[in-house]
Amino acid sequence: MRGDPGSDVPHGGLLLAFADAVLGRDSTALADLREAVRTAVGDAGLSDAAGVIGGFDGITRIADAIGIPLEPEKIELAADFFNTLDIGRFRREKA
Amino acid sequence: MRPALEAAQNVAWRRLGLPGTWWTGAERLAIARETLAAAACPFCAERNAALSPLSVPGAHDAGEPALPPAAIEAIHRIRTDPGRLSEAWYLRLREAGLGEEAYVELVSVVAVTVAVDTYRRGSGLPPLAFPRAEPGTPTRRRPEGAKPGRGFVATVAPEDRADTDPDMYLDHPGPRRRVGANIHRALTLVPDSMIHWWDVLEELYQEGPQMRDYGVEYRAISHAQIELLAARVAALNRCEY
Repeated sequence: MRGDPGSDVPHGGLLLAFADAVLGRDSTALADLREAVRTAVGDAGLSDAAGVIGGFDGITRIADAIGIPLEPEKIELAADFFNTLDIGRFRREKA
Repeated sequence: MRPALEAAQNVAWRRLGLPGTWWTGAERLAIARETLAAAACPFCAERNAALSPLSVPGAHDAGEPALPPAAIEAIHRIRTDPGRLSEAWYLRLREAGLGEEAYVELVSVVAVTVAVDTYRRGSGLPPLAFPRAEPGTPTRRRPEGAKPGRGFVATVAPEDRADTDPDMYLDHPGPRRRVGANIHRALTLVPDSMIHWWDVLEELYQEGPQMRDYGVEYRAISHAQIELLAARVAALNRCEY
């Protein structure tokens, strides 16, 4: 997934690489990307980016550990990209 | 760091050492320490690499003898392999003696620990030292309005919250700020755990009304940048929700 263009979101590719690095194990890469993000969005932006990554690293665990389903209206809204990205494979891999 | 974010983290971290509803302060801190240690568990790494985690025999490299084996298994799997958790796995934990409410509180402690630790790693800040465990007895109070039907555990819908329950959906002074989506309901079997989690999450991320207010930026990065990051982390953790 690294190297994705990040669509048209400003600094999208950099932010995606940063998220990968925060959740990864390469401390050197993380340090480099942290400084790149700081340069791109400032100290406050770096902190808020790390906040989103931290928050979602926690909330995804709650969602999966409690097994909450998607709301029906969200299933309908997301059906297109759910199928395109084969997100349903996440459910098939549970054990 | 924004002062409000720093304050929310400090409060959330200190609450780890307070007596909970189903675990003591010392037990909650043991859960938090084990959450961090699980990232280096060789058994978890081996299971994570396997096509099915059930195909790998072995034992966790656990460092908290005060916690029962079912709690250790729960902490390690939630920490290291959350995307492949199933209801069958959860029911095996129950059969092994882990109570429904205790499991929910454990999930909240793991989530708070992971969120704060990941934030600090991302920001380049040192890990926070754990607080001292405060004495006290868990209240063991289950909300009267809890009902099964949304996920593996019972939850409390906004309309089923009793006056004796805390204002976990932030109904007051109104309008309701935690609208009752399934993710809001997830931890409501233990209201204090729900509040513990959402109070820190809303500073790390955004409050619900801020999330939906696309005309104003409440953070130093934009709504689009925030949601791009959120989606990436969800994908990396293989989270369908």
